[in-house]
Amino acid sequence: MLGLNLPVVIVLAAIGGVLAWRRANTLTWLLYTWVALWAFFKYGFAVPIPQSVATIYLGITGLALVCFASSSRERLSETVQPIVRLILEPRYRLALAGLLVALPALAAYNVYADLNVPLEAPGFGREVHPPPPTEMTVHDETVDMATAENPYLHYKHDDPELYGEHLENGRRVYYENCFWCHGDGMGGDGMFAHGLNPVPSNFNDVGTLPILQSSFVHWRIAKGAPGLPGAGTPWDSMMPAWEKFLTTEEMWDVNLFIYDFNGYEPRALGQH
Amino acid sequence: MTRNRILFGIGVLAFVSVIVTVRLGGFLVDNEYRQPDRQVAAQEELGEAELVPRQQGIADEQAADEAEARARPYEEAEYRTVPFVGSRVTVWVLAQLHLLFAAFVLAVPLFAFIIEFVGYVKKEERYNKLAYEFTKLLSVSFSMTATFGAFLTFALIILYPKFTNYLMHIFSPTFLPYVLLFFLEALFLYSYYYGWGKFGPKMHLFLGFMLNVVGTAIMFIANAWLTFMMSPGKRDDIDGDGVPDFVSAVSESGALLSLRDAFFNFTWMPINIHRIIANVAFGGSIAAAYAAFRYLQAKTDEERAHFDWMGYVGNFVAIIAFLPLPFAGYYLAAEIYAFSQTLGIQMMGGTFSWLFVLQAALIGNLFLGANYYLWLGMGRMEGGVHFQKFIKWLLIAIALCFAVWATPRYAISSVSEIAAMGGSSHPQLSYLGQMSAKNTAVNILILSTYMSFLLYRRTGRQSIHPYRQLLTRAQAIVFSSAAALVIFYGVYGYFVDSATRIRFAIPQVYSVLAALVVITVIDLPLYRNAAQSGETKWGRIPAVSQYALIFIALSFTWLMGLMGYVRSGLRQEWHVYGVILDTSPDAYTPSLGFATQVVSVTVLVFFGLIGVVFWLSSLSGKKDYAPGAAPEDGGRLEGGQAA
Amino acid sequence: MKFSVPMPLRLVLLVLGTTAFYMYLGQIVPQKESHPPPPVLINAEMTTEDLVAVGAELASGKGQCLVGCHTVGQSGPLRYPDLDGIGGRAATQVDGLSELEYLAQSLYEPAAFIVPGFADGMQAINQPPINLSDDEIKAVIAWLQSLGGTPNVTLDTDLGY
Repeated sequence: MLGLNLPVVIVLAAIGGVLAWRRANTLTWLLYTWVALWAFFKYGFAVPIPQSVATIYLGITGLALVCFASSSRERLSETVQPIVRLILEPRYRLALAGLLVALPALAAYNVYADLNVPLEAPGFGREVHPPPPTEMTVHDETVDMATAENPYLHYKHDDPELYGEHLENGRRVYYENCFWCHGDGMGGDGMFAHGLNPVPSNFNDVGTLPILQSSFVHWRIAKGAPGLPGAGTPWDSMMPAWEKFLTTEEMWDVNLFIYDFNGYEPRALGQH
Repeated sequence: MTRNRILFGIGVLAFVSVIVTVRLGGFLVDNEYRQPDRQVAAQEELGEAELVPRQQGIADEQAADEAEARARPYEEAEYRTVPFVGSRVTVWVLAQLHLLFAAFVLAVPLFAFIIEFVGYVKKEERYNKLAYEFTKLLSVSFSMTATFGAFLTFALIILYPKFTNYLMHIFSPTFLPYVLLFFLEALFLYSYYYGWGKFGPKMHLFLGFMLNVVGTAIMFIANAWLTFMMSPGKRDDIDGDGVPDFVSAVSESGALLSLRDAFFNFTWMPINIHRIIANVAFGGSIAAAYAAFRYLQAKTDEERAHFDWMGYVGNFVAIIAFLPLPFAGYYLAAEIYAFSQTLGIQMMGGTFSWLFVLQAALIGNLFLGANYYLWLGMGRMEGGVHFQKFIKWLLIAIALCFAVWATPRYAISSVSEIAAMGGSSHPQLSYLGQMSAKNTAVNILILSTYMSFLLYRRTGRQSIHPYRQLLTRAQAIVFSSAAALVIFYGVYGYFVDSATRIRFAIPQVYSVLAALVVITVIDLPLYRNAAQSGETKWGRIPAVSQYALIFIALSFTWLMGLMGYVRSGLRQEWHVYGVILDTSPDAYTPSLGFATQVVSVTVLVFFGLIGVVFWLSSLSGKKDYAPGAAPEDGGRLEGGQAA
Repeated sequence: MKFSVPMPLRLVLLVLGTTAFYMYLGQIVPQKESHPPPPVLINAEMTTEDLVAVGAELASGKGQCLVGCHTVGQSGPLRYPDLDGIGGRAATQVDGLSELEYLAQSLYEPAAFIVPGFADGMQAINQPPINLSDDEIKAVIAWLQSLGGTPNVTLDTDLGY
């Protein structure tokens, strides 16, 4: 609900309720506010918010809490008194010792957590499925992107034997050309894949083939990376323009094959 | 004896600067091209026959040098360079320092005059004294302004000769009035300062008034020069569609068509308004910083009480001026948009969009600092605990608004974070990054700060007005309906298209302004002659409040530096937008990180210099030097004990 | 034993600390220098395809179309109309204007037709400060046509402006 991670929010609110019931002192409230907000920003959202924004928010929170604690003499002494007592009174010795160990440990852990992040390339605002042109020319033939369909798809019902031949041809084309990158199982994990950024498409993914028309797939096969629209964002892709190596029939065959192999149907015309 | 040590230091400094000047002059002369004729004459005495080959070689080289020097035609330089820092940074820092001092010099008379006037009307001597104290800061600052102004002019002529020449082409008729006004400014300033108590109050007020008129006129002229660089033409509705259009004041080749249009150009008035308000806010904060400095130095309770009050007044001036400042800024930005969409987009969405996240951090800090100071100030009043419980809620409101305003439209995110969000914006946070949310946040910030002030005003006081309950309720209704309206428009903005959404800012601003005015009007009679539960104890405030005042002044100065960068940087590679292109190596717009470094250095230099101004101003209150007297300055360094 | 930092030192620390803090904030945001756009050369032999490439470069450079105003292929709350598919729908935007006439009008007289739901705000791009030449505008039109349409502009096309 509301994009929040409800269990976390409920637990945090419950702790707050317990503190209110036990009439916690100012210092406890200040600590609770900061820690609760930290936990909320880190775990409270269904889609985690970026680290940079969480840092801004926690910075503001910290500033506000310092202001609050020191905004009058009474409040300052309320905040500082428990700390003074903790340091001075003998009965808190054990707690103090624990704190003296815990604080540097926490700092050390923080440094460790900050540094122990997976190495990542810097991000680009890259669209996964760029808008195709309205029409394209493949081997001197104009293809209307809105209406084009795989010409051999209808054999699936009309002539299963011919369909099987086209599939077999598609299989040959795939394992001669495509599997190096897209992988044996079409998981986008071929032997070259780990060297490529962005990684080759994963055809097993439910969010890829089923949401695309076969004309879109045909466009990507025929035109490859050089045919990607140049405007807007930086484009990186290793996909060759296969129209320069394959016949139109071969390209439609491999198109047929990758759908069939994964058990998907291309998105129909006008379907949303 | 500290004073002797300081005098000795000044002597050494003077000596060193004389040496440096002479050495620098010598260096420049040594590196100048010199006609070799003197050496040639010396050789002629020897006679040509006596030249040994080595001498012959030297003579030939010199002759070749001379021939080359004579053959070189005179070329008009377009740009000259400064080693290491570069021309742009040189002019940038000088202009910013000039502007900071000028802003201070223009602002202080403005509120000194108002304070003096209040004292005259209320017949209270302490206001008069306070106004004089503020004015004391002026004379040194005035010299600083003039010095940096001259320095800036020289730098422009030397480093950007062609462009400066072009500005002369446009604005030469305005320079003489400017100089005359500057002269008058000096006249009025010194007669206002030295004539304190020497004239009748009305005459003296008149001098103060004239000082402000002249100062404002000077600023208006200088503003025309710089706004022309951004918008070289006037606003006029030529096609009759009710939207102002742009009429260029210069031809396509840059020749002047109308000085009038160039002077009263599109962004001139918005800048004038924005600068007057910002100057007062800045001047107030610097004056408050001076008071804080003196408070921390003070050794008696009496002094502390006095400087606490002075700091409070300075900060009050700063905050009152600061509240409408976002609106003036919005007006300026809207006018820049109206003048040129490209500039507007560049500013808010393009190259400079991150600058405004930084600005949000600064303004958030300023609001937080100002409120914090007011809350601390409640401790001055006896029986002031009553309102303490509201502080928590005010703080939450301020922190929330601050957070909303500082939320970037597109957050900096790593690849995995983008993958998790499914795009470069977060499904929930992206709502906060938009204009609707930010406008709402600013308006609520202003209302909260005003609320803090109202609470401060009520601390330890009890209204004796016959209709006090009714009036207080009316205030509460006005306040909450303004807040509700602001939030309503903020939320509603998400359900309409962009053209309608932009217009929602206007009712938001007006409802807040109206609320401020109405509540103030009700508040004045409500708390006139109010019963006080206890005395206001000036000086009884934690020392940290004084550091807060200095922090506010610092943030203000830094903010002005940053905004100076965006105002000037907005033109990108143009000297005069759309007319004169910058072709120097400095034509590119530097990154925000670099700009903040320059701004920081400028702020540090300014605070170093303003420290000198503070110190010089505090000298006048010290005892006269008497030989053999006890060192009166001995405790100075332990001033920190006040904390 | 009571230790206290002397006041002048505190002030210096406050000034240095605050300034350093703001400077630090300035360092952690994305850094971008913007350089003056390099001149884009158009010569008479350029084909429509070449013009598309030049137009694309102009759009994100000197022409400033994509610098904060327009987008290609984005949805959501936008400042100005998304240009994706503009080449396909240009012919049907305004009655009586052909694809080419519509695109030319949008660039030379942007205020003549405002896409519903958006505010007037674009400047004529043949005027300063953007100041594209007629040939450069043809390149931009070729690029616009390529977004969802078929470019057919050449340098010989008469735009009527």
